[in-house]
Amino acid sequence: MPSDSIAITGLGAISACGNNTDETLHNFSKGARSAGKVSLFKTELDYPVFEVKGFSQENKFMMRTIVLSFCAVKEALQEARLEGKLGDFRVGICLGTTVASQLNDTDFYSAYRDKGSAPMDSVNRYLKSNLAGCIAEFLNLRPKLCATIVNACSSGTDAIGAGLSWLRNNYCDIVIAGGADELNRVPYDGFSALSVMSKTLCAPFDRDRLGLNLGEGSGVVILERASLRGKNNFKLNLCGYGLAADAYHLTAPRPDGSGLENALSQALNEANIYVKDVDFINAHGTATHDNDLVEGSVLARVFGSKIKFLSTKGFTGHTLGGAGGLEAVFTCLGLREGWVPNSAGFENIDEKIGIAPVKERTRVSGKYAISTSLAFGGNNSALVFSRN
Amino acid sequence: MYIAGMGIIFNRGRGLDILEKALEDGWVNSGSVYGVPEEVLKDKIVLKDARRADDFSKMAILAAHDALADSGLGEKIKPKLGIILATAFGPHATTFRFLDDILNFGDAQVSPTLFSHSVHNAAVSYIASTLQSRGPTLTITQFADSFQQALILADSWLEEKRCEYILVGSVDQVGKVMEYIVSQKLKFAPDGKIRSFNFSKEPECIPGEGSAFFLVTNNQKDKKYCAISGVTSLKEKPDLTILDSDGFAGDESLYREVLGKGTLVSSCAPIFGSMLTLSSFSAVAAALMLKKQKFYASPVRENPHNLNLCVENKAGKINSISCLRYDCNAKSSIINLRN
Repeated sequence: MPSDSIAITGLGAISACGNNTDETLHNFSKGARSAGKVSLFKTELDYPVFEVKGFSQENKFMMRTIVLSFCAVKEALQEARLEGKLGDFRVGICLGTTVASQLNDTDFYSAYRDKGSAPMDSVNRYLKSNLAGCIAEFLNLRPKLCATIVNACSSGTDAIGAGLSWLRNNYCDIVIAGGADELNRVPYDGFSALSVMSKTLCAPFDRDRLGLNLGEGSGVVILERASLRGKNNFKLNLCGYGLAADAYHLTAPRPDGSGLENALSQALNEANIYVKDVDFINAHGTATHDNDLVEGSVLARVFGSKIKFLSTKGFTGHTLGGAGGLEAVFTCLGLREGWVPNSAGFENIDEKIGIAPVKERTRVSGKYAISTSLAFGGNNSALVFSRN
Repeated sequence: MYIAGMGIIFNRGRGLDILEKALEDGWVNSGSVYGVPEEVLKDKIVLKDARRADDFSKMAILAAHDALADSGLGEKIKPKLGIILATAFGPHATTFRFLDDILNFGDAQVSPTLFSHSVHNAAVSYIASTLQSRGPTLTITQFADSFQQALILADSWLEEKRCEYILVGSVDQVGKVMEYIVSQKLKFAPDGKIRSFNFSKEPECIPGEGSAFFLVTNNQKDKKYCAISGVTSLKEKPDLTILDSDGFAGDESLYREVLGKGTLVSSCAPIFGSMLTLSSFSAVAAALMLKKQKFYASPVRENPHNLNLCVENKAGKINSISCLRYDCNAKSSIINLRN
């Protein structure tokens, strides 16, 4: 197994907070939040969402998730200076999603139910929309490994973690990893039924939080062994990954937070660092009562009251399978730029949690940062990033 | 990595004894769809904490549970256990029931239970809860390559010591809507028989469903069956090649081209039915053959290309078996098993 460190050589992001990483940083610095009514599908419900704007989907046949993901992939490859050069390497593609994995087209199903037959257009679109496979096709690539991770809200984080495993085992030279999801009626209705959506802008970790807002987007990182392209001046690394199951409940986190604590412990061990080395944490922070209580309490218990942490979901909404990818990119941007934005929506400390996220743009100067994800099904994941 | 235990649930029932009998018996007409009978999914002990689970999750729970039980390793390995599940289509029958709610009652009156069960990783969550396993859990979907990618990741996790044992398996389901989709996209075999050796450009299929699980580890002392010696490439000429030519991935003419002269060939597709995750079921059958040192006759014998078909159930020396799959993009993947 190669002992090389794993460098992050490219970042790509598209969300309601910006259609690339520069726009995202600009909106982070302004504290701009751009939620609004749903425009992508008809609904009787009235929860605000974070849709990606100023984004044209030229190919109407493709699922929006795929097109969002390709935007992020292109940006990340450009930064990594790998556009058109991937053919020289053993490339892996590992991407997480939820929506793109489901055949959930209501028009198709309605026609089938009513008439016993339905046009196959949406089925054909679904069959052409395996996220990782589609990106390989867009890049005109026969990847060495290609996998779509469907671990609900931690899919993007776990896809990056799987990419790390592939590189460490020398299965690939380069891995395109991250996550993507579009805003879709099925999860919109489903989260409403679970009573975890807020009719106002979400307020992660706030005492008076009322629930999450859904969003959409994609975040992608380019991972490669640091020595792959000779001498380099890469600034960022992926150092550790942990994942652990709650084995508790399909939709609620284990109240004692021990699953997340296990994931954090694994990730820190892999990175060979201690809790004191961690400068900041980009938390999952959905703004639901249960998630934030459990996650915030674990962060307080593990890292102490001084830890700098934030949730960026106040800027993007909860992008489900895209969240882990986007938040990995945001964590890397924090390390690279030396600052993180305010934890948008937060005002009052929740005494049951006992610690508060950053309320304003905050300088970060340490070497290590963590991104966490907690998912449906009780999956907990954590990634450790560093800067050189 | 070594196989320490296996579990399987398919059209003819649950368990390795049922599989062995099915391999002995060969093809029997099981109708136009090879579904798992409802009574097979009734287990009040194993499923006591999964009463609300859908059939998709129940199949996966039972197969995973049985793989662990088959190993005899039990409680002591749970702290070192991971779970990786592969599925081509996920719990689509539950997704369509959720769409029924939307269409019948509107956006505001849908079932939260159906929604939470429609998520692909619901099954692996139930497995973790049922087994009280707190290690890593992951679900992969890559259509015809789902199980192969799951095996590769399992190998990675074992190599980097993320886990010492992994339950890696697959689950897929046939619902009425999927049956309709298959009827529109592919040809059904009118007599209920998959002819795996016709190598047709437009092959016929019979949709199947079920779950197959392996407990794998790098600890040789725990090996109960055989080793999975490689995934994706043919490393050597095996004693038997099991073809996953089940009519589900389009043009099958490539199978003929890749087979070496004289290669002994079989297929388990006519027993399990057509599934994009069929390779996991074939691999269970292969591991059983390696364990028993017994060839089982191919369940169908139509042999228009004069292949060297395995035509009788007989004892024999078997060192290695490969399970070969082509996907819709003419990409091959091979799972190599070796004693």
